[in-house]
Amino acid sequence: MTAVIETRGLTKTYGTVRALEGLDLTIPRGGVYGVLGPNGAGKSTLFRILLGLIRPSDGEARVMGGPVNEVSHMRRMGSMIETPRFPPFMTARQVLRWLALEHGVGGQTDIPHWLQRVGLTEAADRRVRGFSVGMMQRLGVAAALMSRPELVILDEPTSGMDPPGIQEMRALIRSLATDDGVTVVLASHQLLEVQRVCDRVAILNKGRLVREGAVSELTAVGERLRLSVTQKDQVLEVLGAKGLAEGDAVLADIRRDEGPALIRALAAAGVDIHEARWVGTDLEAIFFTETGAIQTPEADHAG
Amino acid sequence: MLADAIRAEGFRLSKNRTALFWSVLFVPLLTVAIGAVTQFVLKANVSKLAADADTPPGLRQMMTSGGELDLARALADAAGDLANPMVLLFVLIGAATLYAGDYRWETWRLISARNRRTNLLLGKLAVVALLSAAAMLFMLVAALAENLMRAVVFDRTLTFGPGGDVLADFFAGFGLSWLRILQFTMMGLLAAVMTRSLLAALFVPLVVGVAQFFSPNMLAPMGIMPDAWLAMLLNPGAAADAVGAMAKGGAAAAALPDGIGPKAWLSLALWTFGPLAAALAWFGRQDLSKE
Repeated sequence: MTAVIETRGLTKTYGTVRALEGLDLTIPRGGVYGVLGPNGAGKSTLFRILLGLIRPSDGEARVMGGPVNEVSHMRRMGSMIETPRFPPFMTARQVLRWLALEHGVGGQTDIPHWLQRVGLTEAADRRVRGFSVGMMQRLGVAAALMSRPELVILDEPTSGMDPPGIQEMRALIRSLATDDGVTVVLASHQLLEVQRVCDRVAILNKGRLVREGAVSELTAVGERLRLSVTQKDQVLEVLGAKGLAEGDAVLADIRRDEGPALIRALAAAGVDIHEARWVGTDLEAIFFTETGAIQTPEADHAG
Repeated sequence: MLADAIRAEGFRLSKNRTALFWSVLFVPLLTVAIGAVTQFVLKANVSKLAADADTPPGLRQMMTSGGELDLARALADAAGDLANPMVLLFVLIGAATLYAGDYRWETWRLISARNRRTNLLLGKLAVVALLSAAAMLFMLVAALAENLMRAVVFDRTLTFGPGGDVLADFFAGFGLSWLRILQFTMMGLLAAVMTRSLLAALFVPLVVGVAQFFSPNMLAPMGIMPDAWLAMLLNPGAAADAVGAMAKGGAAAAALPDGIGPKAWLSLALWTFGPLAAALAWFGRQDLSKE
């Protein structure tokens, strides 16, 4: 597994506050990777270190196989941190031109293509001082993508966007990963969005990594077969301790490979099965379990 | 890489019409306007005096005789005066916008991963150097316009004699004026990086400039009698004057203390590269998470 981002013992302190505490994280190449955590978990600090905006107090961070701040590596990366801002006197088109020049790709960037891809074609020649937060966000994403990076870091990419905009952004992020082969690392508080769009996630809390893995594996833990049936009591009797009523349905706490046999047995017993589907733990539940489980040092001390 | 930074900064500045107007065009336009008014007011007064029966004939003859006006000499003199406080103040407005703009607009995060930090600052400096040169060239155009108006209003014959001395004076004056302006803008760069403030980038160089001007005189009441070298070290303006006198030669150069030339250059170099080196070192380690 090739890593695009690697951190080892990454620590950042601001005075007495520890924003990151010995973070060991490996983000593989390819796909969409979500970094989750409550406010103050260290997500933005991690991103700022990766972008060379701040220096770590201790530990090491590598991006695209090279140390942070080595421009040849950094130029293979695009980023958008928080709500981006731009010189207010420039138009959207001029902003992209300016950043392309700074990136050394002034003549090779198809600016109209990127404006169109983030839905800003009509606003291309308007000054950004009149842009809404959502439009700034779209322009920030275009700025991050236009140099055709191998890795894109997006901090809250859908913040301030309306529902259609969120949907478009989700589609854009997925297509970057699947069609363009770009590795996308994003932070978001919208857990449902993350679950829909990300392949893997890391959950941070108090500057530490508390959970990491593929979304499909994380949500598969505690997975149950949900059966919508007419004869609910009969099914519960068959399942015994492995059965649990949930409204009009029954949750069967069995392994995936036991599923087909159970369905055949119930059908043979004359049970009318209207729907059978596997349901797992959603990311939101995992998030709250993991971030609520960590005791703060103050709490430990007090305790 | 540095070329990328220069191109990008130049492009951004070219879109900032407000900064361009105030830093490049305002003072030349003002100079032409004030010059025109001054010439016509002077002409009216001269005509009135000439028509007065009480005016001595010799004075009347002098006022109405016209004479020659050497444009080359006038431009060479103007080139030596380009680092005047008005030009400096308004060039600093543009320079402060460039130096502190990325803190003000929170745009460092957009560009810091695209180029080396050293290149980012040197790119700004290079564009400020071009901006200063442009402002100076427009000031020369204004000086040219003012002198043409003077020739027309006072019936003076225009001549243009760019002889060896005049040309040397022009380039020496222009070069030293440019260097003085750049010294101030480098102080602005250091102030911008340290304080992240546009106002500091504008006013710190001005305050330091005033302090430099008065500091040798302020030492005397403190019991320190500054020699020419100490005065130049404190006030690079005096060093620039000395270098200018050496370039012109003649009586002004002869009046300079022996061996002051290298010291004057050293003072200029210290005040030029000292703030730049400090700004680069500070910026290289600066936390840019909160612009």
